[in-house]
Amino acid sequence: MNRRHLIAGAVLAAASFGLGGGAAWAADPVRIGFSIAKTGLFADAAPSQLNAYELWREQVNAAGGLDVAGTKRPVEFVQYDDQSNPGQAVRIYEKLITDDKVDLILAPWGTPHHFALAPVLEKYKFPMVGNSAASAQLRDIKPGYIWFPTSAIPDKIAPELVAMMKANKVTSVAILSSVLPFSKEIKTFLLPALKKEGIEVKVNEEYPPTTKDMTAMLTAVKKAKPDATIALSYPSDSVLFAKQAKEIGIESQFDFVLVGPTMDFYQKVVGASANNIVTVGHWSPYRADWTKAKPFYDAYVKKFNEIPDHLDSALAYISCEILQQAVAKAGLDKEKLREVISTTTFDTINGPVKFQGVENVATPTAFLQVQGDKIELVWPASIATAAYRPKTSW
Amino acid sequence: MDVLLSGQLLFAALITGALYALIALGLNLVYGTMRLLNVAHGDLVMIGAYVAFWGLTLFGLSPVVGLVLAAAAGALLGWLTYLGLFRRLLASPQLMRRLEGNSLLLFFGISVILQNLASLAFTASARGYQFMDQVYRFGDVALTGNRIFVLVVAVAICAAVYLLLRFHVFGLAIKALIERRDAALIVGVDIDRVQLAAICLGFAIAAIAGVLVSTTEQISPFMGFPFTISAFVVIILGGLGNISAGLVAGLLLGVLEVYGVALTSAAYRSVLIYGVFIAILLVRPQGLLGRGSVVR
Repeated sequence: MNRRHLIAGAVLAAASFGLGGGAAWAADPVRIGFSIAKTGLFADAAPSQLNAYELWREQVNAAGGLDVAGTKRPVEFVQYDDQSNPGQAVRIYEKLITDDKVDLILAPWGTPHHFALAPVLEKYKFPMVGNSAASAQLRDIKPGYIWFPTSAIPDKIAPELVAMMKANKVTSVAILSSVLPFSKEIKTFLLPALKKEGIEVKVNEEYPPTTKDMTAMLTAVKKAKPDATIALSYPSDSVLFAKQAKEIGIESQFDFVLVGPTMDFYQKVVGASANNIVTVGHWSPYRADWTKAKPFYDAYVKKFNEIPDHLDSALAYISCEILQQAVAKAGLDKEKLREVISTTTFDTINGPVKFQGVENVATPTAFLQVQGDKIELVWPASIATAAYRPKTSW
Repeated sequence: MDVLLSGQLLFAALITGALYALIALGLNLVYGTMRLLNVAHGDLVMIGAYVAFWGLTLFGLSPVVGLVLAAAAGALLGWLTYLGLFRRLLASPQLMRRLEGNSLLLFFGISVILQNLASLAFTASARGYQFMDQVYRFGDVALTGNRIFVLVVAVAICAAVYLLLRFHVFGLAIKALIERRDAALIVGVDIDRVQLAAICLGFAIAAIAGVLVSTTEQISPFMGFPFTISAFVVIILGGLGNISAGLVAGLLLGVLEVYGVALTSAAYRSVLIYGVFIAILLVRPQGLLGRGSVVR
């Protein structure tokens, strides 16, 4: 072996030790397991979450590793594709806990997956901070080993949305709703809330997710001339809604679109039509006192060349931050972790997060609005980053 | 009632129908000539959509150029699939007998492979771009540029293929193969060449449809399946392998979807479509316009 070989070998060895961080690790890696929908129904929604996980791991490793009660250790992911199937996710998490013997776990994508995992976490007494799950039913889950940082929960979204519309002098609405669970659940709470406040429902239509044309529905909305149009839609029909609302010329000045406007592709596909659309979400990079918010946004844009989903990417990152801060205090002992997560107030990109039972009680239910190339918090006033603007053109 | 008479609704029905007809046309060509059940058809639509997206994003090529590129990519994929998988199977009468069922499984595998390759190469995130997004108003009717583009291209390609099958010798050979495979062989039709041309043409049309879809909605590696389903509904409605009936059935499905929703409610869309589909299977199993002899 000559000198050149020796140097090459040394460089290779250094590189293999320094994966992700550039520093050689003295400690064993902390193995964090999760399943994610890489194929199937949710596959196009899940990258927003996986990207946030990967960004977090990269940042932690670059900073010397995860602080495990005082010792810095590199983070390593153990991940599997759950094919968008909650049953598969259950099997994977059981394998992660019993066979792969991971140190920690992160959440899979979607409400049904979170719900399916709750009994598994309870059985193995393994704590998991959830993220992309939202349903009023999450309060029925036995508190203990699962937590939900979201504040976008249907029974809170509905009255808040009505309050926001009332504040903006809306007296009538048209509702177009997908038949998928999140939309239907919000509508269940929205109709009584509207009735209570005396807001007239002029159009109330439901459509299947396979809908490829909304002309008939939107023609009815245009004719009814409501003050507000509420599309309880999922990403693909959110695009269809905006494009056809522009074509038909919907005139309501308050336009709410449920899932989609916070995602990177949305503005690229619908362009200026997205401007001034109101949507659900409780995080924005422009809140000055959330000091970690803008750096997260900038790092995400730099790494992935797209904006983070203001709902799911933010929630996924928040769940990592909570885990990180809990592990720094409690180490990897599951019971200690559970105790710390249940009682601590965490400092996240979304400001303080504090759990009561399974629910985050520190973050208010809020709404975002697309304003030019920014997505601003416009409701409630306590966390707003910009004033609400009426939608005057598509 | 006045909604039903509006040009807006008619326009929406024509666009939806023309796109259904175009997507189903490619599927029908492949089924008609070779009895191959291509359940990966929607994934070819996806590939066409990505060709347009990357053409525009990386090289600034208009989706109009994308139509040509996607057609070439589709045809190339058809050529590879035919030479790599089906030529040998189609040449043997014994294997041919089981091919209809086997092709379903083969194409299912191809579908999974295409979706996952696309997901690995492009990530699963939804993507999209804007093209001809201005709205034109003609009296009461408002038309978005990209929807006019979809209608014009879909109708032009359906018409061109229809004329090819009716008047060109190569089209007549494809038709002969669809209607009487053995007889076509006896009268000297070069079956191998015709099959290759049909699969290339069928795949190219699907990819072209993908370019059209990408101008109006977002795209992702898993977008194809609903298109496969609607294409199957259309060709079964029209009569399997019956090309012109498939075109009519595509338009009919568009009309059924748009006017059905206007007359009842959007909630009944799927009930209407599949209700009519099942009713026709019961009453006219050979298809709406099918003759008994066409379907084997």
